[in-house]
Amino acid sequence: MKTAERAEGLARAASHFPELHPPTARDLLECVRLELGHEEILDGFQLYGSHLSMAIAPEVILHILSGNTPHAALQTLLRGLLLGSHNLVKLPACGLGAFERFFDWLPAPLAAKIETSRQLEGEWIPRANAWVVFGNDDTVAALRGQCPPGIPFQSHGHKLSLGVVLDDPELKSCPLAARDVSLFDQMGCLSPHVIYVRGDVGKYAAGLAQEMEKFQISHPAAPLSTAAMAEVAHCRADWEFRAVVAAGIKLWKGEGWTVVLEDSEEFPVSPLHRFVFVKPLPPGFPDCLGKIAAHFGGLGLWPATPGNAMRFAGAGFSRICAMGRMQETPMTWHADSRQNLASLVRWVDFHP
Amino acid sequence: MPPLSNHYAAMEAEIGQWMASGGPGFGDWMLRVHRFQRENNPVYRAFCAGFPEPDRWQDIPAVPVSAFKTADIRSFPAGQTIRTFETSGTTGGRPGRHHFCSLALYLQAATRGWILAGLPAGSLLAIIPHAREAPHSSLSQMAAWLGLRDRFFFNRREELFLELAASPRVVLFGTALAFLDFFTWMGDRSLVLPEGSLAVETGGYKGARRELPKAELYRQFQERLGLPPEFVWNEYGMTELSSQFYTRGVGRPHLSPPWARGLVVDPSTGREVNEGESGILRLFDVANLGSVCAIQTRDLAIRRGEDFELIGRDPAALPRGCSLLAEELLT
Repeated sequence: MKTAERAEGLARAASHFPELHPPTARDLLECVRLELGHEEILDGFQLYGSHLSMAIAPEVILHILSGNTPHAALQTLLRGLLLGSHNLVKLPACGLGAFERFFDWLPAPLAAKIETSRQLEGEWIPRANAWVVFGNDDTVAALRGQCPPGIPFQSHGHKLSLGVVLDDPELKSCPLAARDVSLFDQMGCLSPHVIYVRGDVGKYAAGLAQEMEKFQISHPAAPLSTAAMAEVAHCRADWEFRAVVAAGIKLWKGEGWTVVLEDSEEFPVSPLHRFVFVKPLPPGFPDCLGKIAAHFGGLGLWPATPGNAMRFAGAGFSRICAMGRMQETPMTWHADSRQNLASLVRWVDFHP
Repeated sequence: MPPLSNHYAAMEAEIGQWMASGGPGFGDWMLRVHRFQRENNPVYRAFCAGFPEPDRWQDIPAVPVSAFKTADIRSFPAGQTIRTFETSGTTGGRPGRHHFCSLALYLQAATRGWILAGLPAGSLLAIIPHAREAPHSSLSQMAAWLGLRDRFFFNRREELFLELAASPRVVLFGTALAFLDFFTWMGDRSLVLPEGSLAVETGGYKGARRELPKAELYRQFQERLGLPPEFVWNEYGMTELSSQFYTRGVGRPHLSPPWARGLVVDPSTGREVNEGESGILRLFDVANLGSVCAIQTRDLAIRRGEDFELIGRDPAALPRGCSLLAEELLT
């Protein structure tokens, strides 16, 4: 199959998952063009400066997926299949739910390019010419140690995302922020933990709480394990206690969501599951967050003007977007601040 | 320092007599202590304002264990503080602090609880720091009370090995992490402790570099020291409490002393779970007179009758635990 045919087949299969914002065939080909320079450069030599070049995809890509979101899983598999590689997919132990049906929708030649397992098969390691790994820092480090030298290793570790509201007296961004927090039950690396607000932060927190409740009614959170429930319950109790003994803290909660208003500069890590903090935007933001900056993922911004985006362009985020679009990553986004197709291929030049 | 209030001293004396008697009345005592703390502990009183007055001990408002990091929780004037114990390793920030105006009930709970659990006094060796080296460690204080005096072998592995090889019947007391460190140091060597010997391990591995499932740790007790699992005990306690809970072997519930109880609650409702179900562990301790008598832990447990089988902290919880004290000092 040529790249264009693969793109058509992938787009048709992905269209059955509208909640994952699936790309069209045009989106996929545009991704190839932007990252590799030409839509057909995987199919043959194309003009490249004063000579010709062709991108050679890895014969076999090993994908190690985490259970956080199906979105990232879909994108990495789309990339592997778009390149034309054979794909070994280590699924998370808990599975990926409905996403696993994606395989059934693929045209036979593409479906044949996928093998899945819930365990990392030992025989996969020598077969893989490239690795794509999702997981926490320990997982990534352990797997990096198993990856043979010279094999491209693309890792996607833990990230912390947040929102910044610079000017929103009418609380127009509250429903958008609630959506960003709640999608995938806040389990993704682009799910905000904190919304920093310039202006009336208390009013914003109350508005966000209302919208969290509305989103919960229209999109109920998934049932929690006892351990996850315990952690959320503990964090709620912890902040409720703090609200009693310290000024400037208030908590709103409902079935499946929690909003905490707190006015310190400290970056609190949410227990996830729709548990978000609202804080005043500190004067030294984001430098005041110190070591946290090394883990920045996405920044949801309001208003999302180019000028506002430029203020934070060098802060360490890989994605700055309008509030409400934090989870809507297009195929062309630079996940972890890199080109994800380009970092997997190798090049061959022909200089006639 | 001003003397203890008559009210506190009287309560302490009464509780001490009741604990010594081993008599019934846990629920009544819990409610009395709760009312005392509600009156005399301004932080707890503010916390309780959001809860109705309880009619039974199970409904006493439990503060999250993290509250000991956030606030100074005292049911007596701050000026009467004679000792403060601090929690061991956390991921940074302020440690949890448990203030005391009197150690009488803590001493009684630790020593009598040990005996009631069926553990023998005397011939004790400890692989935890001496109270002199760790004055804020409640575990080191407890070990000192249990009669260990100078028989502390923390970080003195060779001496400990030689002592164990020469000792008659012995009770070895330490954190799980310290035992693991000792076993690692032993390499290929092993001992068979004399009949009647036993070990008491406490704490977990959170925040440490190493971790071992309990069954595997207990297998090492057998291989390294010749102690079968039924001769290895676990002590479950925390700096924020005055009482301890004990179990022996693997897969058995922790038993409570008559003055303390564990309640396994559904984290979504706060109500006690059914027999055999899991939930979050809430601890009630009459001996915790000077702070609060009801604490919600971060540990998961399974309800086993009036006792609980500990599952432990869920993976998302912040690392903390007695073992980290040893780990920090080792590094």
